[in-house]
Amino acid sequence: MQADPSDLIQRAQQGDQAAFEALYRAHVGRVYALCLRLTADVVRAEDLTQDAFVRAWERLASFRGESAFSSWLYRLTVNVVFLGERASRRRARRVFTTDDPAALERPGEGSGTAGGRVDLERAVAALPPGAREVFVLHDVEGYRHHEIAELTGIAVGTSKAQLFRARRLLREALSK
Amino acid sequence: MMCSDREAQLNEYVDGTLATGARALVETHLAQCAGCREAVAELRALVDGARGLPRTIEPASELWAGIAGRIGKRETGKGKRWWGGALAAAATLVIGFAIYRLLPSSTAHDRREGRGWVAVQADYARAADELTAALATERHRLRPETVALLEHNLGVIDAAMRESRDALARDPGNVELRGLFAAAARQRVELLRWATRVATSS
Repeated sequence: MQADPSDLIQRAQQGDQAAFEALYRAHVGRVYALCLRLTADVVRAEDLTQDAFVRAWERLASFRGESAFSSWLYRLTVNVVFLGERASRRRARRVFTTDDPAALERPGEGSGTAGGRVDLERAVAALPPGAREVFVLHDVEGYRHHEIAELTGIAVGTSKAQLFRARRLLREALSK
Repeated sequence: MMCSDREAQLNEYVDGTLATGARALVETHLAQCAGCREAVAELRALVDGARGLPRTIEPASELWAGIAGRIGKRETGKGKRWWGGALAAAATLVIGFAIYRLLPSSTAHDRREGRGWVAVQADYARAADELTAALATERHRLRPETVALLEHNLGVIDAAMRESRDALARDPGNVELRGLFAAAARQRVELLRWATRVATSS
């Protein structure tokens, strides 16, 4: 029987690591998908997924249930990714800047294996970072431009410009 | 082809964020412009495609052990399950490598070529060297079975890299061969990284 999420959260807030592991199991696929699509880098996505859950553990006390736990966790994940990516770009130490289509072709829960999805995943992974990030947040994850601006520190106009650029590049890539 | 000055408007039209008046103006234009109608259809298909992507992708590696190691002591009794996950992850890497060899070349390889093949090889070699050095200091924390499995997997990958390198020596400009070599090199780095993570979280 699946445990009640609010009970798991409460127990995790009290330091119950088993409860937190249950929350991890329930959400890791979504968190990892977000990290992978934002970075297009398997190794980096795995590191950031771990960072996000460690951060979530550290900040669990600040979760008051005003939004769904999943929304809180995914927002925190986006913050972790952008903090990490900024630091990473500053250091210019990314060993691999390329995508890994093989990883993106692993079907997730409930996904199909239609060629169109694979093509789109590959094309998204090949976008320039700024355009890719906004496309993933807006068109895949459903964030609005003002939320993206708040999360990433860019202006609303820049978010729109990056989205339109991403869509233009994707249309070009997918029409080839 | 869409009218070049309409890109923002058409995107906002598709997103439903235009005010009523602006929306009516776009619809009037669309009635007269086949290129923009086509662009709107493509944009809608793209947005629908993005919304339809899988919401979850399961990581190939077991990440919990690393998280548990960072947030506190792992509870006793979880060793077996974690160990099973670690073995599965190692096996996945080998299987994933085999599958990856069968995949067609990707844009990633083309871009690697653009960066300079020598630089790309140096990147992989440096990453592998750094991880090998890091692993050397933590290797004693791994179980003997893990070390054996790690060495076996590295052997498989090294053999593949040797084959690709030999083939490249005969045909240095072959992009497909470069892709194969890069895939194997990447798998090597990922396997070393996984082993380092497991060792440091043990």
